[in-house]
Amino acid sequence: MRAVMAIARKELTSYFFAPMAYIVIAAFLLMNGFIFSVILAALSQPGAFSAQPMLLFFGGTTFFWIFMIVMTPVITMKLGAEERKTGTIETLMTAPVSDLEVVLGKYLGAMALYVAAWLPTVLYAWVLTAYSKVDVGPVISGYLGVLLVGLFFIAIGLFTSLVSKNQVVAAMLCFAILLVLILISILTFLVTDPFWKPILQYVDLWSIMQGFAKGVVDSRSVVYCLSGTALFLALGYQAMQTRRWR
Amino acid sequence: MIEVKDLVKRYGDTAAVNHVSFQIHPGEIVGFLGPNGAGKSTTLRIMTGFLPPTAGEVFVGDHSAQEDTKAVRRLIGYLPENNPLYEDLRVREYLAFRATLKGIPRKARKGRIQEVLEACEVTEVKDRIIGACSKGFRQRIGLADALLANPPVLILDEPTVGLDPVQIVHTRSLIKTLSADHTVILSTHILPEVEAICSRALILHHGALLYDGPVSELRQGLGGEAGGLLCTVSADAEAARRCLEGVEGVERVERLATAEGPPRFHILTAQGKDAREGIFRACAAAGLPLLELSVQQVSLEEAFLSIMTQENSSEVLS
Repeated sequence: MRAVMAIARKELTSYFFAPMAYIVIAAFLLMNGFIFSVILAALSQPGAFSAQPMLLFFGGTTFFWIFMIVMTPVITMKLGAEERKTGTIETLMTAPVSDLEVVLGKYLGAMALYVAAWLPTVLYAWVLTAYSKVDVGPVISGYLGVLLVGLFFIAIGLFTSLVSKNQVVAAMLCFAILLVLILISILTFLVTDPFWKPILQYVDLWSIMQGFAKGVVDSRSVVYCLSGTALFLALGYQAMQTRRWR
Repeated sequence: MIEVKDLVKRYGDTAAVNHVSFQIHPGEIVGFLGPNGAGKSTTLRIMTGFLPPTAGEVFVGDHSAQEDTKAVRRLIGYLPENNPLYEDLRVREYLAFRATLKGIPRKARKGRIQEVLEACEVTEVKDRIIGACSKGFRQRIGLADALLANPPVLILDEPTVGLDPVQIVHTRSLIKTLSADHTVILSTHILPEVEAICSRALILHHGALLYDGPVSELRQGLGGEAGGLLCTVSADAEAARRCLEGVEGVERVERLATAEGPPRFHILTAQGKDAREGIFRACAAAGLPLLELSVQQVSLEEAFLSIMTQENSSEVLS
């Protein structure tokens, strides 16, 4: 545990020492702020359909998912790839730490940055309360959804970085996997086959996020995100293990 | 302390390390010698548990480097080749991170970091970002990291590469000081380094162990024939030569090329004869002032080359 925390802290420190963390967070907030104001403006139009702004904000627009599949690889790409490229993996893995501790430490560090990027958006909800009545429940479950999807995506990013020696390759691989996961939502919409439809619906991240944003915490969605997280963390751990047998 | 048993490491068809066995006892300071690509780094990486061997075993303390990696890593302070560091951390942050990884208790951490900073003379850059440090400082930061947990074994892979002459001298003397209470294994392709620091040498070539013994014997035993004598006489070259050739036990006298000044000779003596006293008396009798008389040392380079050429010729034969 001590080593896990030390590695997590080191990763987080590295993010904030490089301009990367600031660029990620600034770009994220800028775009999110813009989207949020667009959503508000659209909903304030006379004749606009009535909806909760936060419902659209959490996964209700394509922008949400574009951010997610761009931001995730940017956060995770260097985690493993850089250690391999610069050779620091050798100092790291000759210290008395286990592969599992390294994987978990890196994961926690990346998650911390992810959470740090989302944290300021709580202000949006707070701003809304000043102008209209905001139902707190769906906002909280919306953030739960953001956290769960984040856990899942960051695990994918960490895995792709652990198997690559090159950050760009890691980022592209992560991007590709995330894109497939998101495209499933479109597929769900198109497929009518009675066998495939329920399966695809189960893994349809768009409706999963919409569920959370509406205030519905569906245990199936939670299980899906957490098992995806576990799967990719396990794959990442396996990647660390096999590295030793070359 | 360390036992390496019949170690083999193959990459595809090429054997980087080929049936190497040796033991290292506590308190020894061992130099791992060999040209680039001889298998030094690979052997050291296996010893630290970083790489698995294809065959063979390594024990550090009583622990197998393959099965009980964590215990082995606790016993070893390792400075890898090229000394990889996290460029974007500050020096003291890096050392604090490493200290935590190595399980140094929170209370002792600060004091210990201060100690290694001082021992490696890097205190002045402790607040600097590692990426902005010079090669010399970086090397010593790596060394400081290896020392952090005060491990009984230090494995240093080419610790003086890329340093300037002053830093090399500093680093060597630091390693020599450390050897008082650590078992040190260092690899290098610089022979005088081994001569300056180590008590024992292991020579690797093409993955095979060619020599394992004291550094002092490396010079005598493997240098082939004795080096002979060097002699400078303040006199006319021909007169001096005649005088020297007349001494009992002298077999051949060769004049060495010197830019200016009195003539200098290389004297080969008969096996087992020490002609030095005779030379002194002969010169004194002839009234020729003797300016220099010394035994020529076989350089380690020569010894090394002779070992390697022997190896090559035996390869041809077999």
